[in-house]
Amino acid sequence: MPYALCFLLFMLGLYCAVVKKNMVKIVIGIMVMEYAVNLFLVMLGFRVGGIAPIIDRAQYDPVMQQVAAGFVNNSVDPLPQALVLTSIVISLGSLALMISICVRTYEKYGTFDITQIRRLKG
Amino acid sequence: MKGMTIIVKTVSSWVKMLIVLFGIYIILFGHLTPGGGFAGGVILASSYLLIMLAFGREFVQKDLPLALDSKLDCLGALLFAMIAVLGLVLFDKIFFSNFLYLPGKEFELISAGTIPFSNIAIGLKVGASLFLVIFLLSTFRRETSANK
Repeated sequence: MPYALCFLLFMLGLYCAVVKKNMVKIVIGIMVMEYAVNLFLVMLGFRVGGIAPIIDRAQYDPVMQQVAAGFVNNSVDPLPQALVLTSIVISLGSLALMISICVRTYEKYGTFDITQIRRLKG
Repeated sequence: MKGMTIIVKTVSSWVKMLIVLFGIYIILFGHLTPGGGFAGGVILASSYLLIMLAFGREFVQKDLPLALDSKLDCLGALLFAMIAVLGLVLFDKIFFSNFLYLPGKEFELISAGTIPFSNIAIGLKVGASLFLVIFLLSTFRRETSANK
């Protein structure tokens, strides 16, 4: 069920990016799609009743000089979280690029409507 | 832009040091607690964003000029690459390998080899470049309204 809701969120973003004529709304739709994918990836590593994948004093065995045995069986998967953190950084960069393209286009044409922007030559 | 009212200026001049300290804490303790270079850098950039909103762009331009900000950005990337390449050159001949074996215990501040230094470099890079992005986007808006 949560995966279906993720898919629904992705489809909402896709609808917004494809149908809308305003450039800023297209950017918002693309960002909603990215966040849907991030949410899906984080939920792949989720575990009901799991603990955060951070090794602190409670998860450390001082006698054995290593992580306690139950840590791996109890914690959620940290790999999708690290992947999503990288994805958030990249989506921040692409968001800045898209917004600056929108600003420059508005500076040149005076509108955000993509059907009005027709002199895209050279 | 002259900035906002005296209330906003006073409160933000009190709060900005707390935000900067919190960002430095997040960066320095990135190997122990949640957070790290990226989150701390975003917090540092947000403190300068607060000053920019409260005092106006000229004040921030005097405090942190664009050339210095760009240099800090490049310095962060250079430091991170240098830490990576030093691991390749020194002991292990492995990219990003640890070359600092400091006397420290687990879960203390000095405990993770080169990872805190990588966090500092990433925090510098992210803070400078994110503030540069926000500042330049606001500059675009200014020029547009000045043309009309």
